[in-house]
Amino acid sequence: MATQHSRAAARFMIAPSVVLLLAWMLIPLGMTLYFSFLRYNLLMPGNNPFVGFENYAYFVTDPAFQAAIVNTLLLVGGILLITVVGGIALAVLLDQPMWGTGIVRIMVISPFFVMPTVSALVWKNMFMNPVNGLFAYIAEVLGMQPFDFLTQAPLASIIGIVSWQWLPFATLILLTAMQSLDSEQLEASEMDGASAWSRFYYIKLPHLARAITVVVLIQTIFLLSIFAEILVTTNGGPGTASTNLTYLVYAESLLRFDVGTGSAGGVIAIILANIVAIFLMRMIGKNLDA
Amino acid sequence: MGRITLDKVRKAFGDTEVIPPLDLTIEDGEFVVFVGPSGCGKSTLLRLIAGLEDVSGGEIRIDGKPATDLPPAKRGLAMVFQSYALYPHMTVRKNITFPLKMAGMSEEEKKRRVDHAAEVLNLTDYLDRRPGQLSGGQRQRVAIGRAIVREPAAFLFDEPLSNLDAALRVGMRLEISELHERLKTTMVYVTHDQVEAMTMADKIVVLRAGNIEQVGSPLDLYRTPRNLFVAGFIGSPTMNLIDGAEAAKHDARTIGIRPEHIDVVGDGPWQGKVGVSEHLGSDTFFHVHETGLADIITVRAPGEVNHRAGDTIRLSPQMDKLHRFGQDGLRIA
Repeated sequence: MATQHSRAAARFMIAPSVVLLLAWMLIPLGMTLYFSFLRYNLLMPGNNPFVGFENYAYFVTDPAFQAAIVNTLLLVGGILLITVVGGIALAVLLDQPMWGTGIVRIMVISPFFVMPTVSALVWKNMFMNPVNGLFAYIAEVLGMQPFDFLTQAPLASIIGIVSWQWLPFATLILLTAMQSLDSEQLEASEMDGASAWSRFYYIKLPHLARAITVVVLIQTIFLLSIFAEILVTTNGGPGTASTNLTYLVYAESLLRFDVGTGSAGGVIAIILANIVAIFLMRMIGKNLDA
Repeated sequence: MGRITLDKVRKAFGDTEVIPPLDLTIEDGEFVVFVGPSGCGKSTLLRLIAGLEDVSGGEIRIDGKPATDLPPAKRGLAMVFQSYALYPHMTVRKNITFPLKMAGMSEEEKKRRVDHAAEVLNLTDYLDRRPGQLSGGQRQRVAIGRAIVREPAAFLFDEPLSNLDAALRVGMRLEISELHERLKTTMVYVTHDQVEAMTMADKIVVLRAGNIEQVGSPLDLYRTPRNLFVAGFIGSPTMNLIDGAEAAKHDARTIGIRPEHIDVVGDGPWQGKVGVSEHLGSDTFFHVHETGLADIITVRAPGEVNHRAGDTIRLSPQMDKLHRFGQDGLRIA
């Protein structure tokens, strides 16, 4: 046990880093809040009067706002579904003893090392391009009309690209969880007459519950703020078909030069993210206690 | 019924043969204990019987029917693992029900069997708890319960008591013996603890490096160990083994005498200095040095006998309890 003295000393010594981190967070947050209450447009220089909640009203009543919320939820939900289900499937496969496991594992993990902008560009130009892309080529070989992914199904295409990036993360976490399963439990269930499917459903899947929770939590935090992939591939379009909340804030403040409304959007995004986080913690936080 | 026959069963991992061809018959209703030092292949042998490892050669028959190629679940055996291997996310009831559920049994039958097993094992109050909320002994009983409900031809135990503390181990030992008395089902039990082997077994199989050194009842092994290894392994404290001139007097390479067969008497033929004495109350064990026979001779004396370290005492071995071993380490009749 620490004495009163050593505790005081410890507090004193970590104080600088705590203060620095707090300032790092509070100053930008405070400025965003402050800007969100000003009429502050870079195209109309002059004084920036205080306008109360006007910016918020504009942002929320913007028809793009509802679309952005729906798109954000679809993006996060779709990617979570694909990565968790795919991650479990890959983890089960990679858990099998086979030749060349090491190489296969590194290859599975490699998409995670590609920068989001780069992978989005590669997907856009080399796979999904309706003229030069690989998918278009395959479609032509099969005698079908090439599909213009980013125009005809922009949101689904982005979900596909981002899922490809995050699948390795989910696989990695779930695979390590899978490997921590006590082999005697599997043997016991084998003695108990469980088929391969029953062993997966009754033993492995419950064992993975906690890891799945971790994957969902971490990914949600990152997926709420997807930006690079949208900017590179569709610019939020066509129309607002692939605009999410992050992209809408960007469009307000840096395309329309409206710092005030952009800040208001940022504050709304923070609030929404926290609501999602609270619900997530409520729903699956139980899993982490057990 | 639960008669298990091993016919020239052999197991190799790659080039290393862990179990050379081995024959063994386990009779119906017998309590057989595989005992030996760690790494002697006793657990591997049990896993071969269970079907968790594939044999590299030979045949396993259960009740006369070939079982070598049957999957574990089809052999009609139940196993209790060293780590208990309970399913942590299921309640005790669900744990015990699991094998029945896998067998697709009706609800009433499942409930009847689980309630019966819980009653037999004193688990009725814990059925709704999870394994994490149980003590070591209770978890052990749940693991046994999961084995009982299947009504198997034989139970396999893989060092089931090694995770329990000493007091609990004695209690569980008794419970397993009583369970065997009541169920009369064949039990195969693996342990490295010769006390467990001696107290529980109808038949002990002593293994070393995958070879069967001796098979027999606990008292057979105690009275007539077939070779030096068994002589040193069975009995606690271990038998005194004496080489050299004293052994030559008895026409043997090595003679063995158990601590309990040496008397401390005034005119004994052997003499030595007392080193450590271990007082157990009922008995006292003296470690006797400088006897000229072996480094240490262990002697059991009644609890009241008291000698201080450094005292010189005289010892008299009971000649009819002397074991003689030849050049090859085998017993000389």
